[in-house]
Amino acid sequence: MSLIALLGTLETGLIFALVALGVYLSFRILQFPDLTVDGSFPLGAAVSAILIVNGFNPFLATLVACVAGAGAGLITAWLNVRLKILHLLASILTMIALYSINLRIMGRPNVALLGEQTVFTPLEALGVPTYMAIPAALFVLIVIAKVGMDRFLNSEIGLAMRATGANARMARAQGINTNFYILLGMALSNALVALAGALFAQSQGAADVTMGVGVIVVGLAAVIGGEAVILPRTVFLATLACIAGSLMYRFAVAMALNADFIGLKAQDLNLITALVVAAAMVLPSVRAPVKRALVKDKRVVGPLK
Amino acid sequence: MNAFRLTAAALTAICVTTGALAADKFVAITQIVEHPALDACRKGVKDVLAENGFVEGKNLKWAYQSAQGNVATAAQIAKKFVGDGPDVIVAIATPSAQTVVASTKTIPVVFSAVTDPVAAKLVSNWENPGKNVTGTSDMAPIDKHIALIKRITPNVKKLGVLFNPGEVNSVSSLDAVKKAAPALGIEVFEGAAPKSSEVLAAARALVGKVDAFYVPTDNTVVSAFEAVVKVGIDAQLPVYAADTDSVPRGAIAALGFNYYEVGRQTGEMVLSILKGKAAGSIPVSGVKKMDLFLNVKSAAKMGVTIPDAVISEATKVVK
Amino acid sequence: MIEVQDLRITFGAGTPMETPALRGISLDIPEGQFVTVIGSNGAGKTTLLNALSGEAVPDSGRVLIDDADVTNWPTHQRAQLAARVFQDPMAGSCANLSIIENLGLANARGRKRTIGPATGKALREKAKRRLARLELGLEDRLDDPMELLSGGQRQAVSLLMATFNPMKILLLDEHTAALDPKIAAFVIELTRTIVEERKLTTMMVTHSMRQALDVGERTVMLHEGQIVLDVSGDERSGLKVEDLLHMFEKVRGEELDDDTLLLG
Repeated sequence: MSLIALLGTLETGLIFALVALGVYLSFRILQFPDLTVDGSFPLGAAVSAILIVNGFNPFLATLVACVAGAGAGLITAWLNVRLKILHLLASILTMIALYSINLRIMGRPNVALLGEQTVFTPLEALGVPTYMAIPAALFVLIVIAKVGMDRFLNSEIGLAMRATGANARMARAQGINTNFYILLGMALSNALVALAGALFAQSQGAADVTMGVGVIVVGLAAVIGGEAVILPRTVFLATLACIAGSLMYRFAVAMALNADFIGLKAQDLNLITALVVAAAMVLPSVRAPVKRALVKDKRVVGPLK
Repeated sequence: MNAFRLTAAALTAICVTTGALAADKFVAITQIVEHPALDACRKGVKDVLAENGFVEGKNLKWAYQSAQGNVATAAQIAKKFVGDGPDVIVAIATPSAQTVVASTKTIPVVFSAVTDPVAAKLVSNWENPGKNVTGTSDMAPIDKHIALIKRITPNVKKLGVLFNPGEVNSVSSLDAVKKAAPALGIEVFEGAAPKSSEVLAAARALVGKVDAFYVPTDNTVVSAFEAVVKVGIDAQLPVYAADTDSVPRGAIAALGFNYYEVGRQTGEMVLSILKGKAAGSIPVSGVKKMDLFLNVKSAAKMGVTIPDAVISEATKVVK
Repeated sequence: MIEVQDLRITFGAGTPMETPALRGISLDIPEGQFVTVIGSNGAGKTTLLNALSGEAVPDSGRVLIDDADVTNWPTHQRAQLAARVFQDPMAGSCANLSIIENLGLANARGRKRTIGPATGKALREKAKRRLARLELGLEDRLDDPMELLSGGQRQAVSLLMATFNPMKILLLDEHTAALDPKIAAFVIELTRTIVEERKLTTMMVTHSMRQALDVGERTVMLHEGQIVLDVSGDERSGLKVEDLLHMFEKVRGEELDDDTLLLG
């Protein structure tokens, strides 16, 4: 693999690490299977693109994109919490609606950003080729995002959110307004995904309405695949697993692109993804007996054995 | 002396061979999705190169990757190709092209099947793109469609355009019709059909207000095309289409193009670049070769006789 | 402290599955009193508890806790006043969170949660002290996930969580029903100690008549959604299960024949 391809893989992997973190929040923390991301990713792209093309500061545009993503998450959560629509269904409804909304926002299916001022434009002044500077900047961003996420999940609010997903009834008994935390969590989750969409559009030169297809699959592959490699015993490890999973997924794609010698092509990507995710899901059940054996001696010997 | 000559000959032979090896060209093609039209485009490129001496396996390295409809994959493909250092990168369809152009300012890029390359910010203008990018656009020549309508049925003064306002390409097509029509003395009327079940009603609503129907490449209306044909026959109004597949279904005429030809045009550009021309100096080209499809039977049912001159130009005539 | 006024709750009203769970319950529990609630299945005792905790909204009647009308308050709002221990040991805590994290959740009950760390040093110190009293060695396992603990251990921790910070009332929902006798005894002892120490107003629902008489100072018996017996003080001390049965028969004119009630 050439250096450019390697750094390109890193670049895409880091952007989608934000998606993985967002999906982790909804899918794992809140136990809310959320397809909204297929809509909020291109929403972030659309909002930031249309604002940039109309002369707005790219950083402001990206921020607005995050807020838009949060809004999308709120809608899905509201449908579930207030109207009592099943979470998966609620997320599908929002995702479908977002397709039309994104088209409206963009005015056409593709808004080009090549040559426009983006959040990455200041990097060009550094004198380092952009294919190096962008991944480096993204790396810094992901570190900040991870630290922020870890702090958040370990805070009282974050812990309350984790309880909401783990045992809603008990959470309520502990004074946690579970409805509020679902709304908050979904907003945060989709804000992260929209941020990823905005960054992706700005690094790839365009916001395209088809960008969202399959984002949930990539997110889940990253979260589940990452967990198979890094056991998420603590919050620190869990978020690390998401980032690792996203990078792993992109490397798998890069492998597939370079594997013509064994006949693998980009077409086989979906098959590879499915295999990776399936293996990741099977791995825990192979691990469990091992884990149990190791943990057995931790049990207390006493009246309450 | 003989030894010297032999060595010299051997060295020359080696130089020539390695020189020939160095002359191996490398063309990388990235396509957004597998699709008959886009695949035909790619074949067009390959065929033109082969016809001009660049054959895969012999003196041409040919790398093809499809992004399976996924823009993130297209981004990785773009980076991979840039890293592999080809002589030309061919990018088929807008998203693939955009991500390639974002990844390189030096490697020549030729796009194909991109409807509006200026709006896609791939080039700043058609005539003299300037940088490292050029290509072929597949924009439908709507002005030629309207001109055709005037040729076959010169008495048309009011044209009804049926479209789905939710399809962005249709809105662009409608705008193009509105731009081209006045010059030919035609007034444009809109018939909006947001769903295929509403196409019949939209067509009927225009009866009495228009002299003919035009259906752009709109997925919704085209899927309910038979309804439009029915109204056309009942009201004796000619129905024209933008895509050639609608002609056997009942449209009187359509001026279409095929993507294989677009690919060939693209191939010509790649050839120039491989021979040393700078990509930025090659103007962007639109579709040059077009096919005229006619349906004489349908025309008769709608009360129209197609002039013989037009019939003789047709690529295909449905009787 | 706890006042229930003519509480009525019917499940599935208007459908063929209509079940009147509470048919006019009125109860007054002064501060510091430990009340046990007994009754056969379907008597309405869990529904009464749910009405107090907020999980069941009454059709009519009022619920007051410390003079505040909480009748329409949702569960999470009442959590500042009432703490609950569930019957299912698994339901009272989050399995995938650690012991200290669960205690952190309990620690923040009743007040606004902040963005500050949930399990700081101060919490750990307090947790260690409280857990040490259980003598289960849990104070050394603060970071272990809850799911590693046995049912009895989890229930003990749940009790600890419920009484971690001061609260007005303690609701115990058959909290030893799912435990084996030895562990159940341990948890009941723990309950007694904590309640006595803090003088907590407590309502304990139990399926065992004997437990109902052994623990606490007042026993209320529900039958078919109504209070049929209410004994406390001298009347209650020294009562045996058979006595309670006779009292029931006298009031209702029928025999009580619920095995779990009698044999528990």
